[in-house]
Amino acid sequence: MKISRLAISDEGFVFDPETGNSYTVNETGLFILQKLKEGLSPTAIVEAILEEYEVSPEEAERDVEEFLEGLRRFGLWRESHD
Amino acid sequence: MIKVAVSGINAVDNPGPGIGIIKGLREGSLSVSVVGLAYDAMEPGVYLEQLIERAYLMPYPSEGEAPFLNRLLYIREKEDLEAIIPALDAELPLFIDLQERLSAYGIKTFLPSKEQFRLRAKDRLPAVAETIGIKIPATLVVTSYEEFSRALSQLKFPVMVKGLFYKALKAHTPAEAEQYFHSILAEWGFPVILQEVVAGEEMNVVGVGDGEGGHFGLVTIKKLWITSLGKIWTGVTVTHQRLLSAAEEFVRAFRWRGAFELETIVKDEEIYLIEINPRFPAWIYFAVGVGVNLPERLLKAALGEEPERESHYEAGKLYIRFTDDFVTDIQIFQHMVTRGER
Repeated sequence: MKISRLAISDEGFVFDPETGNSYTVNETGLFILQKLKEGLSPTAIVEAILEEYEVSPEEAERDVEEFLEGLRRFGLWRESHD
Repeated sequence: MIKVAVSGINAVDNPGPGIGIIKGLREGSLSVSVVGLAYDAMEPGVYLEQLIERAYLMPYPSEGEAPFLNRLLYIREKEDLEAIIPALDAELPLFIDLQERLSAYGIKTFLPSKEQFRLRAKDRLPAVAETIGIKIPATLVVTSYEEFSRALSQLKFPVMVKGLFYKALKAHTPAEAEQYFHSILAEWGFPVILQEVVAGEEMNVVGVGDGEGGHFGLVTIKKLWITSLGKIWTGVTVTHQRLLSAAEEFVRAFRWRGAFELETIVKDEEIYLIEINPRFPAWIYFAVGVGVNLPERLLKAALGEEPERESHYEAGKLYIRFTDDFVTDIQIFQHMVTRGER
């Protein structure tokens, strides 16, 4: 649920209005965050990355996995809830 | 034109709340003329003539009630004072005791009761936190050296060593804790409070209780940068619903009257109460700047008017403190030293 409250700018600046924390993300991170906010599952996000960028499925999967791990570490995402 | 006196105009590295309060009053809808109450001729507010029309030196509260009241009555006579917003912990007990007499002289205040003021004692915080549905870090209150030694073995380091009302020092080792225990004991006496450190987000709520269980606005902020004295230098507004609810419960349960600040640590889903301040914090202008002019609302309440109650503000507004300087004549200092006023 935390993802839905985040304010995400097109430049990749992310602000959490509840904790006051801010983050910056790169283009891929921004893409993943926006898709999560739209309610896409991690698997669907990997597919969306494959459609959008010229990367291998393994690379896309690894990127999504790593990014989600980062979100988990910051307490911003839990698979069961988001 | 409403003549209002404000104290805490010591805008130094550990700033008093006065200047922020005054900026709020000046930006509000009421037309005000401000009298600054200072305890030292060097307090910067004394020299800020664009914010403070007149300034007076006050006797220290420790000199007792009579000189304090006499001085206030002298100022009232000279200035036609209608209200006072006291902003410093040390003077609040006197103002609370004097509020009825001041009111009889036509000087209005809007202060907590004596009993409410006592809630800020660190040994009362566990009960307050429980009442408003939040936690406090593991805490032991000690009243002897033996209890202190026993307490150390029951707490995880680092621990905060605190006086009942003031001072908090972070100890990383038993030796450090013992050193701080003795220094706080020498300065403040027993009880000494030992408290585990909770790592999390430092969030504070400021508000004004109406004395009947409601409030005239609440604003929640997070400190982003603090000075070596622990004072906010940069902050950001947040909308933490559970913290706002806890603050609402605080004013409801204790029927809090007047300004207050709750200092908390938020860790994951838990909120820990660290301190209650029975007055505005020094960063009170932050609330004004995001559209919740608490100083003016408090002044209206003191004058018997009905203040606004909404507290809509945006999350993500930044508070920036900065240093500034200016040059002025020595006459102001001279007047303060020779006449006690300017």
